[in-house]
Amino acid sequence: MKHQVESQIIANRRIHGDYFQVDFNAPEIARAAQPGQFVHVRIPLLEHRVLRRPFSIYNVEPAAGTVSVIYKVVGEGTECLSQTPADTVASLLGPLGCGFTVPATADVQPVIVAGGYGCAATYLLARRSPRKPVCLFGARTEADLLLVKEFEALGCEVRIATNDGSRGHRGFVTALLEPFLKAAQPRPVAVAACGPNPMLKAVAKDLLLHGLDGEISLDHAMCCGVGACFACVIKRKSDNPDGWEYARTCIDGPVFPASQTVWD
Amino acid sequence: MADLSVNLGGIRLRNPVVTASGTFGYGKDYLDLVPMERLGAITVKGVAPFASHGNPTPRTAEVFGGMLNAIGLQGPGIDKFLHHKDYMPFLRTVDTKVFVNIWGKKLEDYIEVASRLEAEPEGIAALEINISCPNIKEGGIAFGTDTKQAAAVVAAVRAATSLPLITKLSPNVTRIGDFAKAVVDAGSDMISLINTMPAMAIDIETRRPRIANVTGGLSGPALKPIAVRMVYEAAKAVKVPVIGMGGVSTPEDAVEFLLAGATAVGVGTAIFTDPGVLVRIVDGIDAYLERHGCKSVNEIIGAVRV
Ligand SMILES: Cc1cc2nc3c(=O)[nH]c(=O)nc-3n(C[C@H](O)[C@H](O)[C@H](O)COP(=O)(O)OP(=O)(O)OC[C@H]3O[C@@H](n4cnc5c(N)ncnc54)[C@H](O)[C@@H]3O)c2cc1C
Ligand SMILES: Cc1cc2nc3c(=O)[nH]c(=O)nc-3n(C[C@H](O)[C@H](O)[C@H](O)COP(=O)(O)O)c2cc1C
Repeated sequence: MKHQVESQIIANRRIHGDYFQVDFNAPEIARAAQPGQFVHVRIPLLEHRVLRRPFSIYNVEPAAGTVSVIYKVVGEGTECLSQTPADTVASLLGPLGCGFTVPATADVQPVIVAGGYGCAATYLLARRSPRKPVCLFGARTEADLLLVKEFEALGCEVRIATNDGSRGHRGFVTALLEPFLKAAQPRPVAVAACGPNPMLKAVAKDLLLHGLDGEISLDHAMCCGVGACFACVIKRKSDNPDGWEYARTCIDGPVFPASQTVWD
Repeated sequence: MADLSVNLGGIRLRNPVVTASGTFGYGKDYLDLVPMERLGAITVKGVAPFASHGNPTPRTAEVFGGMLNAIGLQGPGIDKFLHHKDYMPFLRTVDTKVFVNIWGKKLEDYIEVASRLEAEPEGIAALEINISCPNIKEGGIAFGTDTKQAAAVVAAVRAATSLPLITKLSPNVTRIGDFAKAVVDAGSDMISLINTMPAMAIDIETRRPRIANVTGGLSGPALKPIAVRMVYEAAKAVKVPVIGMGGVSTPEDAVEFLLAGATAVGVGTAIFTDPGVLVRIVDGIDAYLERHGCKSVNEIIGAVRV
């Protein structure tokens, strides 16, 4: 069930570079949220704009009723959000979208591939997986890495790739994924990915090359956030005569099977 | 509490607030968020005889005072609309009136979709003919900006169905009164206006249009004063009920349209901003009527003092 919650901001602070964390008091959403879902936020200082802004749910504490989001300042809305003081009331819609599948048993080894706010979008998945995921985090440089300690505190093994080699493997994160896709794995893997489009495209390609599937979370500018307006569509495979259809990232996604996406 | 009910060409609405086509999907998406039993009516997204992909992306851009869209009428087509559980079968379970917006690329498409709905009319209060979609290349635009063609579409649909007809007018014309008259003479029971206004936005860094279709329709608050003027002119030109829309986002906006001559008011883009706005507008109209000592909303329809 979706909720509209007039939610008080409990805390809103810079965590790292351009990244901020905001905690909302939104008990209905905190209780219902599943890994990979998002909230659609009416930013109070952005009242002169007509659209909400979507943010992945980073963490929830159902007992306390809090929903946390990690966001990067990239434009007017996120800039306004970063300046919003605690106690301000913001309207939230959520939890929205179809999220990641939480493995049912510890027989499956989850592997998370993430970059940027994608690390936040996969945190609940890591928290709720019966077997702790191996996390492969990619970033341009060490300073862009997010949440490494938080994932380690959950018991996850975090492996890192930076483009400039300032930490971990030098190069793309997909190089770290390769060993997990080889048939020699002791147990089946469940790959979940969220991050910049080129990363997702590469992950999807590698999965399919090895005859595997996985789940990737796609990001597209949204309007309604609930499936009504058809603004946020991406191409997905279909059995119609054209072989593809436009699917809504807000309600059919944002998480899609890697095997279903069509990359132009 | 004042009497909010209105008579829209024989259709009784519990209040004058209706959702604008294309901004409320087929109703189901908002089921958790909007109490349908508080709405006057919902207008569903445009239905054509065929399924269609719609336009390439990006399809929308936020601009000051509103947004541009060129969704391009992505939709399931009439077969799925009539029989898949998420569309008409769902809409029949909802406690509000349902207007089905229809469109086509050619005259025959309008006739086909109207005939199919005529054959299974249960749960449909009226058809809204979209002759004015600005975002379809071969599409509605020609019908919407030529009085003769507009009348031809309406007459053809009129012949195909006995369901009440609403004709949705484009703002992209010089004399809106002529269009209102033409479609009413051709058999439309009411009119709705305005659709979005053709517009454009450019990303100055990439120097590319901000939506893939290059141009798109402007909706939202920026549209409102234009819409109020056009509703005022159209309502003066014809005797049938008018559904006014364009940028309505507060109860005060809705009252303005009623004063200009609208019998019902459509809300679109503002639902994206805040789904709670629909009920707030209903309650706010009531509060306005109380404050002005009116017993019924009918007392303010067309009551602008010029
Ligand atoms: C399902 C989903 C989950 C998301 N989760 C997070 C999250 O957890 N943390 C986070 O920081 N961000 C997240 N985003 C992206 C976030 O919504 C955008 O960064 C935000 O809307 C930008 O708003 P703005 O007003 O600051 O920027 P604007 O002024 O609107 O735009 C600034 C720049 O960002 C681009 N942009 C705007 N929206 C998007 C978008 N959706 N995708 C790609 N580019 C965009 C614009 O084209 C422009 O170049 C998510 C997006 C989606 C769709
Ligand atoms: C995303 C979007 C999709 C729309 N789709 C349709 C449509 O399918 N058929 C139609 O007649 N009008 C459509 N419209 C126009 C609206 O119904 C309405 O006439 C217009 O947006 C002005 O109202 P507003 O400012 O309240 O949004 C659409 C508008 C938007 C913003």
